[in-house]
Amino acid sequence: MKRHHATALAVTLLALAAAAAASIRFLDHRKPEPIVRGPGVTEVRMLSEWLPDLAGSPGDTEVYVFRGASPGSSMLVLGGTHPNEPSSFLSAVLLIENALVSAGTLYVIPRANASGFTHNDPQEGAPERYSVALPGGSVRTFRYGSRATNPVHQWPDPDVYVHAASGQTLSGNETRNLNRGYPGRADGTLTERVCLGIANLIRAEKIDISVDLHEASPEYPVINAIVAHERAMPLASQVVLGLEFLDIKIGLEPSPKNLRGLTHRELGDATDTLAVLMETANPSQGRLRGRTDEALVLKGRDPYYVKAQALGRLYVPFDENGHPIEERVGRHLSGISEFAFALSSERPDRPLEFAGVPEYGALLEKGLGAFLKPLP
Amino acid sequence: MPFELVIFLAMVGVFAAGCFAAKLPVSLSMLLAACAGLLVSGNGLPVRHLVEGTFGYVDTILVIATAMVFMRTVQESGALEALNAVILRRFRTVPALLLPLLMLVAMFPGMITGSSSASVLTAGAVVAPVLILLGLPAPVTGAFIAMAGILGMIAPPVNIPAMIIGGGIDMPYVGFEVPLALLTFPLAVLFSLWFGLPHVKVVEWEVLAAKLDLETYKKYGIRLFLPILVVAVLMVLGKTLPQVFGMGLPVVFLIGAALGLVVGKRFNILSASKAAVNDALPVLGILAGVGMFIQVMTLTGVRGFVVVSALSVPPALLYAAIAVSIPLFGAVSAFGASSVLGVPFLLALLGRDQIVTAAALSLIASLGDFMPPTALSAIFAAQVVGESKYSRVLVKLVVPSLVIIGWALAFIVFSKQIRALY
Repeated sequence: MKRHHATALAVTLLALAAAAAASIRFLDHRKPEPIVRGPGVTEVRMLSEWLPDLAGSPGDTEVYVFRGASPGSSMLVLGGTHPNEPSSFLSAVLLIENALVSAGTLYVIPRANASGFTHNDPQEGAPERYSVALPGGSVRTFRYGSRATNPVHQWPDPDVYVHAASGQTLSGNETRNLNRGYPGRADGTLTERVCLGIANLIRAEKIDISVDLHEASPEYPVINAIVAHERAMPLASQVVLGLEFLDIKIGLEPSPKNLRGLTHRELGDATDTLAVLMETANPSQGRLRGRTDEALVLKGRDPYYVKAQALGRLYVPFDENGHPIEERVGRHLSGISEFAFALSSERPDRPLEFAGVPEYGALLEKGLGAFLKPLP
Repeated sequence: MPFELVIFLAMVGVFAAGCFAAKLPVSLSMLLAACAGLLVSGNGLPVRHLVEGTFGYVDTILVIATAMVFMRTVQESGALEALNAVILRRFRTVPALLLPLLMLVAMFPGMITGSSSASVLTAGAVVAPVLILLGLPAPVTGAFIAMAGILGMIAPPVNIPAMIIGGGIDMPYVGFEVPLALLTFPLAVLFSLWFGLPHVKVVEWEVLAAKLDLETYKKYGIRLFLPILVVAVLMVLGKTLPQVFGMGLPVVFLIGAALGLVVGKRFNILSASKAAVNDALPVLGILAGVGMFIQVMTLTGVRGFVVVSALSVPPALLYAAIAVSIPLFGAVSAFGASSVLGVPFLLALLGRDQIVTAAALSLIASLGDFMPPTALSAIFAAQVVGESKYSRVLVKLVVPSLVIIGWALAFIVFSKQIRALY
């Protein structure tokens, strides 16, 4: 064998070995983490019940239903629209494992973009997983995903993404962004079909209010904020005041009319639901972050964000304590509770009442693990 | 010294040692630099990060590989030379008109696809032989089509860096046409004359005819140009009717390549494809290496260190930081620079007109395609004109790049006044 043939063979074998090693990790990323069905869950349905075409596809996802003993208003909570925003997913998990609904109906989708949980964004160096210790000594592990649908499930991206309903153009990779695909369409991409499934659910179940949970990087202007469709603004204003009473400062932004494809615009326009979106501060998704690891995801501390804060480059206070996951989940859960309270106050004949949701102060004091159930 | 700086220096040191001392290919040096970053930062050698990093460029790699196959078929079928003959016969006597026209032709695929490589490898490869026959030296011709590549990438209607920068602050890609046209078309005219006028000469048709292959066109006629025409039409349709024709550039190029097989001279498609991919392989390798490099930079905090350092300059030096850091970071990728630095700089310039500013930042980001080691536009331009060292092309682009930076910064400074013009 000639020398360059031997070199080529060695390099090929090395490349195959690297591909095999990486493949094992990538395939492992597709295994969903268990969520413990809490005492308040009355049904677990699949999104494909509202769009049968999704059945068996990577876009199909669980919908946890909490039906109260008495009728009332209904709320849909979307977690995991962007699976690289962990407080969104974890807030949904804590609801599922703890909430008890006495009046009205609560729907929770913890992995709105289930496909996005199966991979990481290339060149972002994100951890594949993060773990939370429980008081009994056990550990719950969750996947850190991508902002977008897995390209293995939807590929290739066009050069330019054209939002079907409006013709608005965005960068091609936004084709896989669930929060740019609403209201969705039946003959569209997997991402657009998931959007349509969610919109169908809202229409069929007559959802009164939809809360889409997100996180933003600290340099992004819309952060620690509620973005509300114009019909939801009065309710959202009450929630801002309610959160102020809990010492949680939160901004209120109107949903821009020219930014299409997002929940707070399209679900508000295309359905009767009151559409709102909530943002917390997540340094692990920002461009200014330092070392990217599990600690950054959970503790939310980063020296470069502290420096950027001193430079006046951020839209959220950022000191050495950072923004731990407990604070971010606590903000979301408090917001959800306040929305339910405000809705019930506006419609006393159709209340939405639930209990058992971990409170902001308790989360900060006891930690997230105290409210996660041990795996059976 | 921040630990991230130590990691960065180790990565750059290993890269330089690999390239210059060990004379390894750039791609392998990038791989070794990424491994060095992982080891120094205490991350071990997680293969997953190396593989994942390369996936950021899978689509780009496919576009480049298929574009190279397409251009090789156009060349082998005889269409390229025939097209040169047609252009020269009609326009050789009016160089002041011909040069801007050729610049626009070379920009066209970039304008439609948002890819400088697509421009250089397709229309650039058509225009380059014409320029050489008109008297431009090979390095200058390379600079001409490399410039066309990045101006095409930034010119409307499709500008992916602007979409990326806008997307970072939830600004839709709406209203960019006029500022992008104002930014790019005057530069296109300027640089076509800058590169061309000192060298171009009006040559008698008889003299040119002796150097051209006129027989192929006589034999096959206009159908020779069908692959080029179909690719151009599919690119436009992909933009205007994406629901029907949004098949993606690789498929478009493969359709063009298949047509190239039947419209002109016969050739062996397997040999042609192999040769085309072989030509592209060094750049494809660099892209894979750069993907690993960025992944490790992000993982270890080096990226954050670079971005925050760039933002740390006093306000008076912000423009200098933009002028230096965005093109430098473009060494890893123009699109990467748009996302990593373009977005924070746009946020730092929130008082300006956002659309004009984002458009100008995208123009500066495009210079990343001239920045070694990736230097996609310059490397492909050198390949197209047969210049073995792409540094000879790059040298010709230094001063024009400074003009571009100055032009773009002027747009940022006067963004509100420019916005008021339209």
